Amino acid sequence: MSAPIHINGFTNDTLGWKAWLDVVQLAQATPAQMSVLEESHPKAKESDYYLFLVHQPEILRQRSLAFNAIMYAPGGLSRAERELASTVVSKINGCVYCASVHAQRFEQLAKRQDVIEQVFEEPHGAGTSDRERAIVDFSIELTLNPDHVNVSSIQKLKDAGLQNSEILDLIHSIAIFAWANRLMLNLGEPIFPSV
Amino acid sequence: MLNQSPSDTLDRLVGLLPQSQTYAARREREKVVFATQGSEDGLFDPALPGLSVEERLYVALYACLLTPSPDLAAEYESRLRKLGANLQTILLIQKSDIQGIGNARLEAILNFTHTLITKPISADKMALSALPKAGLSTPEVVTLAQLFHLCLTKFDWLQACVP
Repeated sequence: MSAPIHINGFTNDTLGWKAWLDVVQLAQATPAQMSVLEESHPKAKESDYYLFLVHQPEILRQRSLAFNAIMYAPGGLSRAERELASTVVSKINGCVYCASVHAQRFEQLAKRQDVIEQVFEEPHGAGTSDRERAIVDFSIELTLNPDHVNVSSIQKLKDAGLQNSEILDLIHSIAIFAWANRLMLNLGEPIFPSV
Repeated sequence: MLNQSPSDTLDRLVGLLPQSQTYAARREREKVVFATQGSEDGLFDPALPGLSVEERLYVALYACLLTPSPDLAAEYESRLRKLGANLQTILLIQKSDIQGIGNARLEAILNFTHTLITKPISADKMALSALPKAGLSTPEVVTLAQLFHLCLTKFDWLQACVP
């Protein structure tokens, strides 16, 4: 089991999330809304996040298709490394909720939490190997300075051993969290477990 | 299903042709290609209730200018022009003179866009509540939130693509 982490306001605790505006009530949901909830996430019907976004069901459908394909598709970048990139982006953007969820997933997949502690402490330079440091650096660069990313940024990933298909998965994981962070950060707030 | 998506916005803007390595790499994750384009099609669909297509394109233009992603900004500007949008409004957005537009609803929408793109951590409950106060319904807020996030996802992609 993973040990609890509390660093700089970031944690690997299980947090809740509450929307600031009205969510769709299940009893009033249209058939289209119900079907999108069902295909988005096993617990979408209990989640404020999905119940809020399902105000526009077709947009949520496309978003969920993208998210699930990016984070769970087999092959390419390991799922743990995708979760690491997501955690780095969430830390940089300041999304405590997203960081907690994806830190946990990284730990479950990688069976360790050393790099998560480093990322919560200071993302710049975090990583337990050259490959991991390259993934972390690139995640930071694409998040903070997307207009500076160029051929040499990609070359650094190749030098650290990433294949083209892995680089593609990495870019997707970073990009979808530019989006996810802003939904979670700006449409509601995390709920911390009472101590 | 293996169509060539000639209407794929990213391929077109980055100049990815079917014979290029990057094009082939993108197709290894075809579901992502389709969902990315599907999101854009959905978000700019005239049938989507709520924000007008023009309002959505103003948001996209402003978000791209702030990121900055000049190619995508030019794309959305040209769609606005084709739609016959107000040229003065386009110019003011390009100058980041949002107050000068003189439209309280659009001003609230674009101010929220500015905060979210440039400093997402600073957008709190107060920032969000400015939208219903300006007359936006909750489904409209959802469209707005999804809209510039999509733009952002796309910028990241564009910048990192090496044709």
